[in-house]
Amino acid sequence: VTADGAQIPTYRILDGSGGPIDGAVLPDIDEAFARRIYENMLLCPTLDNLLYNIQRQGKISFYMTAYGEEATIVGSAAALALDDEICIDNMATGQYREMGVLLWRGFTIDQVMAQCFGNEDDTSGKGRQMPVHFGSPAHHFHTISSPLATQIPQAAGVGYALKRDPARRDKNIAAVIFGEGAASEGDFHAGMLLASTVPSPTLFIARNNGFAISTPSTEQYYGDGIAARGPGYGIDTVRVDGNDVLAVLSAVREAKKRCLESGRGVLLEAMSYRVGHHSTSDDSYVYRARAEVEDRKRIDNPISRFRLFLESQGWWNEEQEEALKAKLRKDIMEAFKKAEAKKRNNLGELFTDIYGGEEPWNIASFFLSFIIWWLRKQQREELAALLKKYGDSWEPWRNELAKFKDQGRNLLK
Amino acid sequence: MFTPCKFAVRAARRSTIPKNGTCRRQSTATQIEPPPPGGHLPSISSSQLLRTTRESALRTSGILWADEDDSGPTRNIVGGRETRKMNTYQAVRDALSIAMMKDDSAVVFGEDVAFGGVFRCTMGLAEEFGRERVFNTPLTEQGIAGFGIGLASMGHTAIAEIQFADYIFPAFDQLVNEAAKFRYRSGGQFNVGKLTVRTPTMSVGHGGLYHSQSPEGYFMGAAGLKIVIPRSPIQAKGLLLASIRDPNPCIFMEPKILYRSAVEQVPIDDFELSLGRAEILVSGSDLTVLTWGTPVYHCETAIHMLSSPPPSLAPHVPASLRSAKIELIDLRTILPWDVETVTESVRRTGRLVIVHEAGMTAGPGAEISAEVQKRCFLKLDAPVKRVTGWDTPGAALQYEKFNIPDAVRILDGIVETLMY
Repeated sequence: VTADGAQIPTYRILDGSGGPIDGAVLPDIDEAFARRIYENMLLCPTLDNLLYNIQRQGKISFYMTAYGEEATIVGSAAALALDDEICIDNMATGQYREMGVLLWRGFTIDQVMAQCFGNEDDTSGKGRQMPVHFGSPAHHFHTISSPLATQIPQAAGVGYALKRDPARRDKNIAAVIFGEGAASEGDFHAGMLLASTVPSPTLFIARNNGFAISTPSTEQYYGDGIAARGPGYGIDTVRVDGNDVLAVLSAVREAKKRCLESGRGVLLEAMSYRVGHHSTSDDSYVYRARAEVEDRKRIDNPISRFRLFLESQGWWNEEQEEALKAKLRKDIMEAFKKAEAKKRNNLGELFTDIYGGEEPWNIASFFLSFIIWWLRKQQREELAALLKKYGDSWEPWRNELAKFKDQGRNLLK
Repeated sequence: MFTPCKFAVRAARRSTIPKNGTCRRQSTATQIEPPPPGGHLPSISSSQLLRTTRESALRTSGILWADEDDSGPTRNIVGGRETRKMNTYQAVRDALSIAMMKDDSAVVFGEDVAFGGVFRCTMGLAEEFGRERVFNTPLTEQGIAGFGIGLASMGHTAIAEIQFADYIFPAFDQLVNEAAKFRYRSGGQFNVGKLTVRTPTMSVGHGGLYHSQSPEGYFMGAAGLKIVIPRSPIQAKGLLLASIRDPNPCIFMEPKILYRSAVEQVPIDDFELSLGRAEILVSGSDLTVLTWGTPVYHCETAIHMLSSPPPSLAPHVPASLRSAKIELIDLRTILPWDVETVTESVRRTGRLVIVHEAGMTAGPGAEISAEVQKRCFLKLDAPVKRVTGWDTPGAALQYEKFNIPDAVRILDGIVETLMY
């Protein structure tokens, strides 16, 4: 806390009407790139609308929207190389928007749906994790997990691995995105410390949207946000307007450059506002006024701000807007219907991927355990025997079995 | 974390490695150093379980030479191989050196590892492989584990050290929620199989509450992890190399009292000992004693005392029991544990005594005895007996001799179980 109450300034390029602020330097973007950014920004809320609604209808178990933070997510994704490693800190503080990074990198709407439905096409986790826990090695996107902040020190390790790899040193960095609430975890402290001290080229992107579920940031910290902590760790730091996609783009590009030059961590705090509820299990009007949310949506909307900029460049118009919206809605609807019709994976996948190499005896396959007669009934066979016995007569199981591709047959064989 | 500097000071003073890296001591029996103040167990220096000749070391049961061609026939060639006398920390250091030499991606990191480690396990590695591969981290256990997970997720071999097993708990979340579940939750797309966490464990005579713990049981329910505990230098080298190369995250717990007190001839070549396999150290037909780590030697002493009790204990050991044949098993891997070897043994003997330093309630012995009674119900002639640390919050400093399962408590457990 400074004597005069001064705060770290927020870096902006565009003002509320989409025009450049006096003296602002526009990042190097051409029309095609700018349009791609906008299309991705618009894809996020369209996808969110549908998935949010189908959760309400009980078709998927859980969802987290990304409303209001499209600029932070898409801007960051657009500034990074497609093969920079991204570690996402789970359901960080209040919302969950990093799906936009994956979409930018070419993860398809079908793959998003498959994960949320946990159907047989779910490559992220074979239906084992809750919705929105995506992951894809092909897109250099480490699988999301629920425990907050755990991926922050992991990202430092990823950064160190990149530095040690001659093919990727000086080219790639690790980036980790997390909310301001997650920054209160010990793992945040550990990750910042490791990236600066070991050191490792790691970009820490804090999305400060004002809320961790119901806890406002005023109850999360007393200092000047997350950015003020960076210098304490000896880390280059910038605070940026998270609703200004060009500012995010420009700042992340510069941050990556510094990561590579110094071989150390860089901290970027993107200021925004969580427009949506924390998750589908949360009603945020219990702890904040609806009017406040509506105001924020209207006055400082990252999508409309960037749209105004595009229009001022002559790169976008009403007609294109309507065409894009219609196309996105159609694509998403098609993917949704396809995903909904699919079965879940084989039930036997419950027991795979626990270990690499030889399977331990307590879950070992029938074949392995058959060799030694006293090991016959292991947990996989035990479940199979129970299914055989009760699969038809116990309704909760009968209904569930019908949802699996194999109806559990590969266990029963 | 707090580390009493006396560990480091003593370690330095008692170091037996001259600069050329070879051991100067000729024989443990005639060593000039005084025993450690807490007193290492009298049985360790004279243990029959330690292999003090080249021939016996090279014939170690289950040894897999890693330099042999996998496609060739299985051989056990002893000729042409050499051994060197090592204590346990030297064997750990030897394993780390081999792992790093053969794998450029392997790095060793943790608190104070660069100067050689507070127990000397990483002596000279920084000089040999450079500070990029052997480096200190800030003092943060959750950070060390998380950093290792990140490295391993990129396919790099990450060998992390937690200075004492007592301080692994800040990393519990990273190890149980992250490392153990990494492969499963990603549908097999990502894994951290190349992560190994080494940590000194068990009592040391004067470690008090936070330099004595045996936390292996806390990790026993963490499907996805492997937990390994060696009993000697040969075991430490072979099991550590196997842990480093195993396709799963492993926690390798090194009984710290054995760092100096257990000395063997250790093959200098690259070799592994299989994980998940227990080893029968002494064959018997009347009772099975199952243990791991430091208590292996207390059990050896107890078995010896059963057949020839010293005069002071003789009244407590009925003559009829003295010819009993006791089978001694070293479990070696705690997760996943070798149910096959253990139950096969108990089927033959009908009696089981489990010995571990960790407390009894929900300790590893609870898990093992439950499974054994399920599988061997009709063959059991006595209840499964557990001889363990008491259910106190930790090894209270001045009370340690009454807390650990020492030879006399094990002897009593054997006698009681045989007489049931």
